[in-house]
Amino acid sequence: MDPELPIVLLAVGLPFAVAGVTPLLFRALGERTGYAGSAVALICFGLLGSQYGSEGTVELEWIPSLAVALRFHVDGWALLFALLASGIGTLIFLYSPAYMHDESGLARFYAALLAFMGSIIGVALAADLIAIFLFWELTSLCSFVLIGHYTEEDESQYAARMAMLVTVGGGLFLLVGFLLLSLVAGNVVGPASAFDLAAMLEQPDQMQTALRERGLFVPVLGLVAVGAGAKSAQVPLHFWLPNAMAAPTPVSAFLHSATMVKVGVYFVGRMRPMLVSLEWLVLFATIGLVTMTVCALLAVAATDIKELLAYSTASHLGLMIAGFGFTTVLGAETGVFHLLNHALFKAALFLVAGIVAHETGTRRIADLGGLRHDLPITAVITAVVALSMAGIPPFSGFYSKELLFEAALEASHVYDIGVLGWLYPAVAVFASVFTVVYSLRFLALFVGDRPAGYSHVHRPSLTLLVPPALLALLTAVISVNPELAVRAIVQSGVDATAVDTHELHVGIPTSYSPAVGMSAVAIAGGVLAYPVYGTLHDGIRAIPRLAPPVSANWWYDAVVGTLTGSGRWLATRVHNGLLRTYATWTLATTCALTLAGFAATSTVVPTELIGLDADAAIALVLAVAVVAGLAVVLASTHVAGVLTLSILGFMIAIFYILASAPDLALTQLVVETLVLVIFLLVIEEIPEYYEVGLGKVARDGVLSLAVGATAFVTVLVTTDARPEGTTEIARYYTERAVPEGGGTNVVNVILVDFRGFDTLGELVVVALAAISILTLIIMRSGGAGGDEE
Amino acid sequence: MTALVLALIVGALFALGTFLLLRRDLIRVVWGLAIISQAANVYLLAMGGIAAGTFDSVPVLAGHDAGAPETADPVVQALVLTAIVIGFGMTAFALVLSYRVYEEHDTLDVSELGDHEG
Repeated sequence: MDPELPIVLLAVGLPFAVAGVTPLLFRALGERTGYAGSAVALICFGLLGSQYGSEGTVELEWIPSLAVALRFHVDGWALLFALLASGIGTLIFLYSPAYMHDESGLARFYAALLAFMGSIIGVALAADLIAIFLFWELTSLCSFVLIGHYTEEDESQYAARMAMLVTVGGGLFLLVGFLLLSLVAGNVVGPASAFDLAAMLEQPDQMQTALRERGLFVPVLGLVAVGAGAKSAQVPLHFWLPNAMAAPTPVSAFLHSATMVKVGVYFVGRMRPMLVSLEWLVLFATIGLVTMTVCALLAVAATDIKELLAYSTASHLGLMIAGFGFTTVLGAETGVFHLLNHALFKAALFLVAGIVAHETGTRRIADLGGLRHDLPITAVITAVVALSMAGIPPFSGFYSKELLFEAALEASHVYDIGVLGWLYPAVAVFASVFTVVYSLRFLALFVGDRPAGYSHVHRPSLTLLVPPALLALLTAVISVNPELAVRAIVQSGVDATAVDTHELHVGIPTSYSPAVGMSAVAIAGGVLAYPVYGTLHDGIRAIPRLAPPVSANWWYDAVVGTLTGSGRWLATRVHNGLLRTYATWTLATTCALTLAGFAATSTVVPTELIGLDADAAIALVLAVAVVAGLAVVLASTHVAGVLTLSILGFMIAIFYILASAPDLALTQLVVETLVLVIFLLVIEEIPEYYEVGLGKVARDGVLSLAVGATAFVTVLVTTDARPEGTTEIARYYTERAVPEGGGTNVVNVILVDFRGFDTLGELVVVALAAISILTLIIMRSGGAGGDEE
Repeated sequence: MTALVLALIVGALFALGTFLLLRRDLIRVVWGLAIISQAANVYLLAMGGIAAGTFDSVPVLAGHDAGAPETADPVVQALVLTAIVIGFGMTAFALVLSYRVYEEHDTLDVSELGDHEG
């Protein structure tokens, strides 16, 4: 079954359309706008659901001359991601009104959230490289607005800027990768679909061979990895994600756990069939497992519940990246299945964190405990999703982690990777130990006794409880019957991301296998390590304190600080308020760029012999003009300067006469006369001012000579390149002046007929100058000397 | 054909204009602007090719049915004509602005004005 274009377009476009009218909607509905957003998300979910089971590409013409189209590809993988985005979006919009009660800037909040949902559905479905890039960056932009929701707080601003810099910067790497890819794709799938990712993925082997022949395979792989790694918070670009927790919690649940950060993972899965290889394995399995380990350790070191969840999100994203990195079909199964499981349990955990923060007023792990007494339903929800996160059987996270262990064990079966063959499984188990530790720590917020820190815990309202409860219910369903999820959507997602087809089966293991042993070691290790949580927590926290360069955040601050500092230093040097400094920099830069341009295209040497193209009369008149110019420079009084400037102007007027331009001569004569009169009127009011300093004269002289030389070279080079005879455009106007303009003076016909609007614009400029002059002279009030008149 | 004479003239005028642009006296800065715009006009006209002034080369046709003879390039002339007028507007505005600056600050020294800005 082929997807239907109108439905796909509506699912992508509707959130954007509603985002556009959100300010009006907010005026009518107030805080209930969130429920309207929930309805929009539900409609999108329904629209996407109606495409369930279809597969194919639909497109809308966009820039046909560049072979760019608004092209959407629907398959199991795209639908899984888009359905997750709209489904979780529905719950987030339902949750927000109660959580964001009585806050300001809600119209902007909901508009950005809706636009974000449209972008994420777009990035899931888009099959055109340019469209993917566009939606990809739109998600970063919406994320920037949402992280910086509390616009007055420094922390929000810092976090929003950091997320923007890292994710958008990563997106630019991706763009370069796309352009390289399209260079190769033009030859393989035809120039008409050079940006058509769906077409490329139909011939993955030919694409990979062609990429290797052009020597572009490794660059494209690396650029995609940087883009996806920045978006999905992979080490060493993971540091923006914990900072992004400055955003309101619904945003953290939606963008920074369930959807936006998964875009990188999603895209790695998308590109997998085309780029899978030994390099792919080493790159992504290593990045993924390092991220999984480092961020699991950092999650143990976290002091804030949202920080814990943020690091754990990055760690799980590492798990998915590593899964996709393994080249066997088990790798694809890991990535797809864990993406689904993680979206469900982590969104629920963030919503739980939101409830805890909202009802107790604190997010500090050390201050919280015994919450099951006050929040019994939340405690049950947390038990399901936290145990799923830990990967304890029979909860859903266990199945996908088991797949990772199997994939890690099989990694060395396909390629000979030496020591990495046993290092990968070992690291995966090591990281999983800490996953169990921090999951138990989160769960421990709800057990034990209440600390004395807070007095009264409110009961959460129904709309705060229903969304996480639904997500926990789904997690429970997958836990009890994982085959249901596999049959419903995971299998079709695996088919789209795996190289060869394989029927996926998951369930509680009934016999021993190495992967089962690894799971047992991880869980036992985690449970045994939990009692020494305090020591681990303090130990990991001490490392970045002892050696700051270990932390990626330190590098970010150092780089951004240096850039800001040197930018400020440059600004004080170039923008120091002195006119001559501005003029010097502008002129010197222009000259340098112009001459460099001529030198680069090696046009400095004129091709023709230098000829005297001006006759003696013209040369003489212009020589007088130059002498007059020299006199202006040397003039000791303003009056002398104005008069010699006038001589220069009149000489130019005579030059126009000699150069067959009578209209110019007339205009120049009128203008020169007027300028002379105005100058004389003004300088009468102003005292003389005498020049000083010989040193500066020398410096200015050097710059002036440089500018003069540049102008000289430019005139030589450009007049040399001028075509001989009359140009086509000149002939066009000369021939049509009489038939179409009805006048014999070609210049006048051009000005008032052919280019009438330009002349109108020119008149507006002159009128504006006149009005400004009038204003400057007559309207003088409020200033320091206002009482003189 | 390369225009050596015009190149020399335009280069010289640009150099003189730039030198004035860097003076401390605001009035001389305005002169510099005026000279540079004159030089730019000469350059523009040179790009259209300079035809010696004869009855035929002027881009004014002899009559309504005279056909279209080879004339000097009318397009650059239209451009330069616009440039002259705009240049006039700019010079006049800059001059009056300087006058107003003098009224407000009692000085035309650009370095002192820079200090005012802080």
